[in-house]
Amino acid sequence: MPSTAPQTPTTPAASGAPAPQALRPGTARDDGGVSRSVRGIARMAVFAALVAVLGQPFAVPVIAGVPITLQTLGVMLAGAVLGPWRGAGAMVLLHLLVAAGLPLLSQGSGGLAVYAGPTAGYALGWIPGALVVGAIVQAGWPLRLWRTAAGTVLGGVAVIHACGIPVMAWQLGLSLPQAAVSSAAFVPGDLAKAVAAVLLTHTLARAYPTPFEHARRRRG
Amino acid sequence: MASTPLIPLHRPGDSPVHRMPVPAKFAVLLALALALSLRREDPWIVAAAWALAVVGHLASGAPTVALLRRLWGLRWLVLLLTVPQLIFLTGAETALNVARVTGLILLAGLLTLTTSTEAVLDAVERALHPLRRLGVDPERVSLALSLTIRSVPTILGFHAEIRQAQRARGARGGPWTTIMPLLVMTLRHAERTAEALTARGVR
Repeated sequence: MPSTAPQTPTTPAASGAPAPQALRPGTARDDGGVSRSVRGIARMAVFAALVAVLGQPFAVPVIAGVPITLQTLGVMLAGAVLGPWRGAGAMVLLHLLVAAGLPLLSQGSGGLAVYAGPTAGYALGWIPGALVVGAIVQAGWPLRLWRTAAGTVLGGVAVIHACGIPVMAWQLGLSLPQAAVSSAAFVPGDLAKAVAAVLLTHTLARAYPTPFEHARRRRG
Repeated sequence: MASTPLIPLHRPGDSPVHRMPVPAKFAVLLALALALSLRREDPWIVAAAWALAVVGHLASGAPTVALLRRLWGLRWLVLLLTVPQLIFLTGAETALNVARVTGLILLAGLLTLTTSTEAVLDAVERALHPLRRLGVDPERVSLALSLTIRSVPTILGFHAEIRQAQRARGARGGPWTTIMPLLVMTLRHAERTAEALTARGVR
């Protein structure tokens, strides 16, 4: 079953109410009678699934023999596109499912063992990471390039490493500076992902601004 | 095209380890994790964790080969743990550190192996009930979790579609050119899902 989600293109015609034409962010109901809460749940769920898909082996490009996971790109996009709360919420959903035993992290790893391993801090850092990315990127509308860049680098690189380094140091028996040095090997790749996240976010904001609700509510 | 994702790491069975209530399993795991981190120098706690992990694996009905395969799966981690520590610590200290981390990983893996995803998610939903007062709605969390599970195959399908279209155009679909359409299709899918939920009376 490739697509189990119901695909009914519904209009509220049955209720007799004319569908509001204009999209008015800031009202409890945007259009089609779909509440903001339901829309938010759907967006968080699909984004959690997207981050899981970006970690599957076929979606992982291999550069110079080293597999580069795109999952952190997904984390940056979750915050940048969905905003701080829903971005972080999507990451919480993903972690609940991983903890429940689904192999949704890179290369099909999952289960509670993830949280006992040395990379647990990086994975859990996705939650505050997406939150910080979203808070900075979506601080205003329209998006500003410098803000998007600062948000993805701070939240998507700095926060995640700041969460990952202490756990790795503890698990591997390293001192914090030693752990930071070995963590630094991943910074160039992460910065490349941040550049990609900035470009993708701005292209998306121009082509399809609907999901950027958090930012659009700040400045109409 | 879609490789087989979402095969849970759980192995069904009816052993005593399987039948143990989920909160009890979590409690044991958390207690051991706490003991291991508070008394880091105590080799007995490490030995207890390992004994519990090995006995649990054998009692779970999984073949011994499966346990050996799990241990073999830890070889890179063991290497990664051992090499930097040997520079600063004695052999005995390093062995204890490595045994502590791997023991906990094995034990956590045992819980995943013997508990169905649904059972863990049920336990999560029940554990969230006290948070109602803080505005957390457990039913909404369950809804979001099941939507996520159902979205993974859908998004894998989108990915396959995009790659096929690129191949038909003779374009070489690198990851960067694939993600933009994947992002848009994923977000559109969220809108359709939200509309379908609304049509079913979810507010």
